[in-house]
Amino acid sequence: PVPGAPSPPASPLYPPVVASITAKSRAAKSRRLQRFNQRVHEAATVEEKLRLYGKLQRPKYMVYPQTFALNADRWYRSFTKTVLVPGMPPRAAAAKPPVATAGATSETGRTPEPRAEAPGHAELAGHAELAGHAEAPGAAKAPEPSVAAALCPDIGELRSLACDALLQESFYQNKKRPFLYRDQDHTPGPFLTQLVSTLAASLSGRNPLLAASSLDLNPEVNYYWHHGEEVVVHGHRKGRVDPVRFQIDDNPHLQIRVPKQLPEVVPLESDLGDVPVIDHKPSKLPLFKKQYENKVFIGTKVADPCCYGHTQFHLLPDRLKRERFIKERLEDQIEVVYRSNGIASLFAWTAAQAMYQGFWNEADVTRPFVSQAVVTDGKYFAFFCYQLNTLALNAETIKNNPRKNICWGTDSKPLYDVVEDGNVKGFNDEVLLQLVHFLLNRPKEL
Amino acid sequence: YPLFQRGGPQLRIFRPNFFMVAVRPGVPQPEDTVQFRVSMEMTKLDIRNYLERIYNVPVAAVRTRIQYGANNKRNHRNQRVKKPDYKVAYVQLGQGQTFQFPNLFPEKEQDAETRSFDDFRDKYMEKEKQKEEGDPRRGGVPDWFGL
Repeated sequence: PVPGAPSPPASPLYPPVVASITAKSRAAKSRRLQRFNQRVHEAATVEEKLRLYGKLQRPKYMVYPQTFALNADRWYRSFTKTVLVPGMPPRAAAAKPPVATAGATSETGRTPEPRAEAPGHAELAGHAELAGHAEAPGAAKAPEPSVAAALCPDIGELRSLACDALLQESFYQNKKRPFLYRDQDHTPGPFLTQLVSTLAASLSGRNPLLAASSLDLNPEVNYYWHHGEEVVVHGHRKGRVDPVRFQIDDNPHLQIRVPKQLPEVVPLESDLGDVPVIDHKPSKLPLFKKQYENKVFIGTKVADPCCYGHTQFHLLPDRLKRERFIKERLEDQIEVVYRSNGIASLFAWTAAQAMYQGFWNEADVTRPFVSQAVVTDGKYFAFFCYQLNTLALNAETIKNNPRKNICWGTDSKPLYDVVEDGNVKGFNDEVLLQLVHFLLNRPKEL
Repeated sequence: YPLFQRGGPQLRIFRPNFFMVAVRPGVPQPEDTVQFRVSMEMTKLDIRNYLERIYNVPVAAVRTRIQYGANNKRNHRNQRVKKPDYKVAYVQLGQGQTFQFPNLFPEKEQDAETRSFDDFRDKYMEKEKQKEEGDPRRGGVPDWFGL
């Protein structure tokens, strides 16, 4: 505005005044963190990002999904910022009892598909009148009889498959006595593998996603993350503020990975409950620290086309059997075991899937990642569905983050009562139905 | 006393020679955790049975550790003096019970007389200290310094 003054030069004469990089000050530390974040953002490939993310090794808490610690699921929910909603998500619940639902709930894209595909599968039940029931998908007025007709015969056949697997493992096959504390590997383990593989094979005709899936036997799932801050107590770094590091190393019994992602259950920013806040240090759980490789792994390496997760199957070990809890009069901890296993394993799996797509705690997920899990001890089954809405759990990014991860979970229900003399007594169809719905779950456009 | 066999009448009762001391935790513990100092020979099973049978306290979990007492202090003869080792037990209570270590030395309420006496005493001590310090305008320099 001054008429006689010279115009300012186009480029600034002096370099910008910023904090130093190497000084022992908080500004210098934040500048170093920013440079590190910049480096990870600019990494070319996902493998490079993962390598830089887990490069610095420090003592971290080892979180075990299958733990005997009391009230572990509350602690795990506070570590992973997860809301636990009892029961299954409404989408699955609406499709579950086909005879009981009203016709209004049939806008879920799943109900037209079984009807549309039923004519193509004459070998399934031999009900020729199903071909005549091929109504147009738009005519959703009376889906009940056709849906019931489409699913009911399947239940009989799938029930016979399940009973066959169970009887083969526990009755027909001649096995020696199980070794001490190896009961779960003896009968329920092979039964679960057999059940899942036969069910997946028979349902892959109805669900093309299953046909393109890959089934892993005893895979490894790892995830490493930071959450919260603490002051270092002993050692040469005493007095410094450090993030609290966690690592989950999990070995589910079985895992189904698919090339396309499951659809979201609720929108990304939905708030369905509260996350428990625990002020105490995680070591009071008890949780122990160790320093080793910071691994992020979903079951295969990054280049695999089946990089999204569908369902995991977990088998509870012998030291977490129901009888042991009942003997020690800790009946309420039985459900805690199932819930903590579901929450921790699914969080690790979904978060590792998100990292494989390039998201991390500075670059939060733009779409929710959904996975399912079944936790069982051979007889009792508990179903879990997890939606990962946020990865940003470390101290700076969690401040303005309103999103929470959501986990739907059921209580454990028995699949059968006893197996006697070649008969399975008290077979529970609801559990099988829920399992079938889990396996049939797929994105809408498929 | 007749020899005892399993299933027979229990004519003698043995009380353990152990003692457990409930202590205030040094670091904050979760609400259901109680911290005890126990004898070095007690095991987790012993602690659980002790609390359940004698005191009817439902115990969900017990964790123990041994605290090493330091051997660094020296007495007047330059011999090392050892502080004794002790075992610490962290007991998690069952059935949702919680425990908070009570405050054994609460602040006593003072009546008006003692409060006014304390105020008077504090003000007198302040005045005495100011008299000792000297003139504040001299900036801490003693009063014998000068011409």
